[in-house]
Amino acid sequence: MTDEHGGAESKPGQWVVVVLAWAAVGIPLLWGVWMTLRKAAVLFK
Amino acid sequence: MAGLLSRERTIAGPGFNRWLVPPAALAIHLSIGMAYGFSVFWLPLSKAIGITKPVPCPADQSLLDTLFATNCDWKISTLGWMFTLFFVFLGSSAALFGAWLEREGPRKAGVVAAFCWGGGFMISALGVYLHQIWLMWLGSGLIGGIGLGLGYISPVSTLIKWFPDRRGMATGMAIMGFGGGAMIGSPLADLLMKHFATPDSVGVWQTFVTMGAIYFVAMLLGAFGYRVPAEGWRPVGWTPPPPKQATMITSHNVHVYEAWRTPQFWLLWAVLCLNVSAGIGVIGMASPMIQEFFGGRLIGAAGLSLKDLTEAQKGQLATLGAAFAALISVFNILGRIGWASLSDRLGRKQTYFVFFSLGTVLYALVPFAGRIGSVALFVTLFCVILTMYGGGFATIPAYLADIFGTKYVGAIHGRLLTAWSAAGILGPVLVNYIREFQLDHGVPAAQAYNVTMYLLAGLLVIGWFCNLAVRPVADRHYMREDEPAPVRAAAGATRPA
Repeated sequence: MTDEHGGAESKPGQWVVVVLAWAAVGIPLLWGVWMTLRKAAVLFK
Repeated sequence: MAGLLSRERTIAGPGFNRWLVPPAALAIHLSIGMAYGFSVFWLPLSKAIGITKPVPCPADQSLLDTLFATNCDWKISTLGWMFTLFFVFLGSSAALFGAWLEREGPRKAGVVAAFCWGGGFMISALGVYLHQIWLMWLGSGLIGGIGLGLGYISPVSTLIKWFPDRRGMATGMAIMGFGGGAMIGSPLADLLMKHFATPDSVGVWQTFVTMGAIYFVAMLLGAFGYRVPAEGWRPVGWTPPPPKQATMITSHNVHVYEAWRTPQFWLLWAVLCLNVSAGIGVIGMASPMIQEFFGGRLIGAAGLSLKDLTEAQKGQLATLGAAFAALISVFNILGRIGWASLSDRLGRKQTYFVFFSLGTVLYALVPFAGRIGSVALFVTLFCVILTMYGGGFATIPAYLADIFGTKYVGAIHGRLLTAWSAAGILGPVLVNYIREFQLDHGVPAAQAYNVTMYLLAGLLVIGWFCNLAVRPVADRHYMREDEPAPVRAAAGATRPA
């Protein structure tokens, strides 16, 4: 990731932080969606 | 501490990765989104005294006595007032504090939201422990409701500034979190209540304390993750489209105090209100609606209406009703990210044309699905309808940024959310009262929603015309380049000559 204003590349290792940040919110969200879909599955039985 | 929260301290340095901002926004929206899932507490709370079954209050008990009674259980209808408080205070606090947020920055707003939402849970825990309903209304309803409003609008303008090339997608990601919060919170609350339940307690106050602490930490992390871009920053390789080629996307800014004086604000208010009214009306009634539409057909007993079913069969139907409500909630969040991202390609006005045109057709088709007895068509119609309900929420911040500019979009969005509060009353009232009116006049339960569906389709037709009338803001409403914003803010609502 670069930005025009600062003209600098994204700091090394920042993508690791990005992945961790997304995992921190994404995993609970996916768990919630999974639990909801399990509940909804009754509709298709 | 104050310095740590100031807008100046949140300006990102060179090389900051903008993809760190959406997870910060999601941490806040996923936390406050639990507002939708509060009904998971109603049943245990309705027997907080009796533990195994509710202890009814005297029939002639006054409201004042209900507020302070410690010897009988709360009714679910009394607890349900929490939802009204949530959405009234969400809309009003977003409208009231939007300008403050733009001035002070998203981090301070996020931290205040964390204290309100997490603190509200703690006060509610005390309310459950002491069995004082007024403490619950004050804690989660009023204080928590203010946290909802501040938390909801806190990332909007920041995300739009970081993603000028994908405004819809950026705000869609955050607002998707608000739709998904209950999906995490409800099963988590269920697990916690089971864990904390004892022969003497239904485990709710302990669950409130635990969840309040979790949400407080998550929201603080989100707030401290917020960064605003430096003035003039833009993504590499992206240049703003020339104004002549994109007349619906302005490069100017309208001040929050000026925005609400424009017809565009009120047209977009109506657009949001009408789109949400239609959706919110069916969300609240999804479970009973599918049961009343199809009766025994849902469980392989075609021809039997609800009143002909045994208690066991009614239990099966209720399970299916809950499954239907769960399924459409997934489509609600898919619509938030899907439609908002698509709006970056289609354009905001065109996206709303799709919502209103397709929505009108789909609502009008619902009675047909009931008439031919097609459960699959019925479910499909509502799944698509719910994507557009969620999509409407997620696309509106980008629509506002296109029309009014990005400088005050968070505050303008906050004021526009009063449309949500209005829709929260209009939608359920339309669906519930028309249904009851139909039933009272002898209409079979399976057909009691037909008029409602045509009426909701009619609301969307009005919305279509409101959207059609949205035009770029007249030049006189734009801020001058050299206009000092704080002077205008301090001056209140007047525009300097």
